[in-house]
Amino acid sequence: MGEKTWSVRDCGGNRPGLGLAAMHDITSSFGDVLQRQLELASQNYEFLKGKGVRAINVMGAIGSGKTELILRMAEMLKARGLRVGAIAGDVAGDDDYQRFRAAGLPSLQINTGDQCHLDAHQVGHALEDFPLNEVDVLFIENVGNLVCPADFPLGTDTDLVVISVTEGDDMVRKHPKIFAQTDVVAINKVDLAAFVGVDPERIAADYRKVNPHGKVVFTAAKTGKGVEELLSALGF
Amino acid sequence: MHEYSLAQSLLSSLLEYLRAHPAPGRIRKVHVQKGELVVLSEWALKEAFSILSEGTELSGAELEIENVPVRVRCPSCGYEGDARYLVEEGWHLSVPILSCPRCGERVELLSGKELAIVGLSVEETLAEGKDQV
Repeated sequence: MGEKTWSVRDCGGNRPGLGLAAMHDITSSFGDVLQRQLELASQNYEFLKGKGVRAINVMGAIGSGKTELILRMAEMLKARGLRVGAIAGDVAGDDDYQRFRAAGLPSLQINTGDQCHLDAHQVGHALEDFPLNEVDVLFIENVGNLVCPADFPLGTDTDLVVISVTEGDDMVRKHPKIFAQTDVVAINKVDLAAFVGVDPERIAADYRKVNPHGKVVFTAAKTGKGVEELLSALGF
Repeated sequence: MHEYSLAQSLLSSLLEYLRAHPAPGRIRKVHVQKGELVVLSEWALKEAFSILSEGTELSGAELEIENVPVRVRCPSCGYEGDARYLVEEGWHLSVPILSCPRCGERVELLSGKELAIVGLSVEETLAEGKDQV
């Protein structure tokens, strides 16, 4: 926090009802708590760079298909000769971790203990335990939530938000801030769009409005549709 | 809903500071700057701070939250200033767009992601024989 002292400026004088008291304003910098998150994220970023690992922060609501999409991307990246690992972030349970393990991915579970997002501190500890020498690409699956992860950078190369059509066509309008700041979006489960009466183009149009520089890809993780395009959008 | 964890971070950093630099009186207000892009409920942040600070020297102190608008810088044309906003009546919200209002290229954020304590209001009870800080 550096060297700081009180700098006191009299701003009130005696105030009725408060007895012999004066109000002072004290102006100082106490450190930005989100800046601290950014510093921890930068440390993770440098650590991953040092190990030669590319990391992707996968965000999205509960049930949007994050895990399935990661599994499908992992298959395709493996076919290209890349080694892929995954960290599963959940409030509780190890279901996603078990799915990653069953697919043969080096993986690790973070249980946030009811915290609604991963943060750079938790991920930093996970990276210490993760066999990073065994992977080239690391997917970090965030807690299912479209609000809180927006404030917590993890130190990944790329952020991806997954929306499924089954969530309705209003997801971008309901959570504009996370989409304004995320550069790759997958609109997933497009194979179900007709069944739930949702037009994926409408979601894409909303996203382009809040983020004219972002890339949007239509995917169906179950069938593999669009997943190669998603990998291109992520820079693979 | 990460208001509690961030209120705790604010409180911890402040208590740590106060250990090294004791306040000259009772702290009535804690002035906080919150960036426009930070996804926090002001009401919940105040409530969280009030509950978490109970039993500390900040008990009873109120958070005063000032919103910091997004300001951007364009690496392409050199624009520096306010962001362009997407205002859609149906969205009940106006969203800053991270595109240059002048040339349309991608911009860098100059402000809008902060959450920081920037000052305190301290009520100093003038003790006998002590007339100035």
